[in-house]
Amino acid sequence: MTHHTRSTVSVGFPIVLACTLLLMAGSLLGQAKPVPKPVPMFSASAIQIEPPDPGDVPMPAEFRMAIYESLIAHIEKTGKFRHVYRSGDKDAAAVPDLVTLRTTAQAFKKGSQKKREVTTVTGATSMTLKVNITDHAGKTILDRNVKGQVHFMGENLRATYDFASRVADIITEKFYTAGHTTER
Amino acid sequence: MSIQSPKVDVSVTPNSSRAARLRFWARGLFLLAVGAPLVLSPLRARGQAAGTPAAEPNAVQIDVKLVIGGGTIKNNSVGTLSVAGNSLQFATGKAQLDIPAPSILDISTHEDSRQNITGAAHFATMAIPYGGGRALALFSHEVDVLTVEFKDTNGGYHGAVFVLPQGQAAPFKKQLVARGAKATLPLAEPGSDNK
Repeated sequence: MTHHTRSTVSVGFPIVLACTLLLMAGSLLGQAKPVPKPVPMFSASAIQIEPPDPGDVPMPAEFRMAIYESLIAHIEKTGKFRHVYRSGDKDAAAVPDLVTLRTTAQAFKKGSQKKREVTTVTGATSMTLKVNITDHAGKTILDRNVKGQVHFMGENLRATYDFASRVADIITEKFYTAGHTTER
Repeated sequence: MSIQSPKVDVSVTPNSSRAARLRFWARGLFLLAVGAPLVLSPLRARGQAAGTPAAEPNAVQIDVKLVIGGGTIKNNSVGTLSVAGNSLQFATGKAQLDIPAPSILDISTHEDSRQNITGAAHFATMAIPYGGGRALALFSHEVDVLTVEFKDTNGGYHGAVFVLPQGQAAPFKKQLVARGAKATLPLAEPGSDNK
């Protein structure tokens, strides 16, 4: 009698467990999927890039220029705009839906390539800049801090490439390709 | 058996010494004729130059690396940087960047250091066992970084960063400022961080 009860339990328990798991899975699948919040997207035919404002941060000129030139190259590469204008370009004023990208230095630490490559843990170059994009009327449409860094391989100026690459990713995520018509 | 005394032809000796003396004089005159113009020409040139003030030669530097901002020229291209006429020129085998001095809004120079082993060779050093690659990273050299901010004909703002051998950036800044370029920081004495 005892032997019979024990075998019943040993066979029945996995079945009960399996049924419970199936029920749980079914209930989870049956639930309505949470609708992701619609990410606001912008559209503009042209963008103008302003040179970085060092603010109170002592950032060498070569870093500022490398950030500026890298930003232009990376944003052109995204293909989101018909024109990428440099600061001061006279043609930009005529574009009605022009957006302007400004960057302001928040933090900057110049590391050492030698230290990085010898120790692998020290000597990182890092920078944080506030990225602000405004529309033609001057209204802010994007404002966030973006970091650029080089931890192991490469020269210090590579941090500017990293920064520009991250800004280009944000633009790819937030902007429709120029000429895109949204579905209504 | 006879012992022969060595013959000495004394009659020939005066003639041969005269001929040797003549050859010596001929050689001397020839050397004088050939050498005199060569020796005197620098003196004459120096004498001519002494009358007029010597113009400073235009700065020229080979093996300059354009890190970024060359427009159509690829980043990290190596070429010759020079001050030609009224502008700063960077020329590679394929293309040339020309920046007129009056369009330059700011020039700054900075000292930095660069690794001796770069590029593909640098990756190869990573394969050296027992940290040999890291030891090679200790070898570096000092360089000058020349940053030029300028405007194009349409008003567009540009920045170009050049890497030169140590101590070579200051003459470029000095000559460009003399030709109408602007610089927010004046040229300081060598040895300071930012000139």
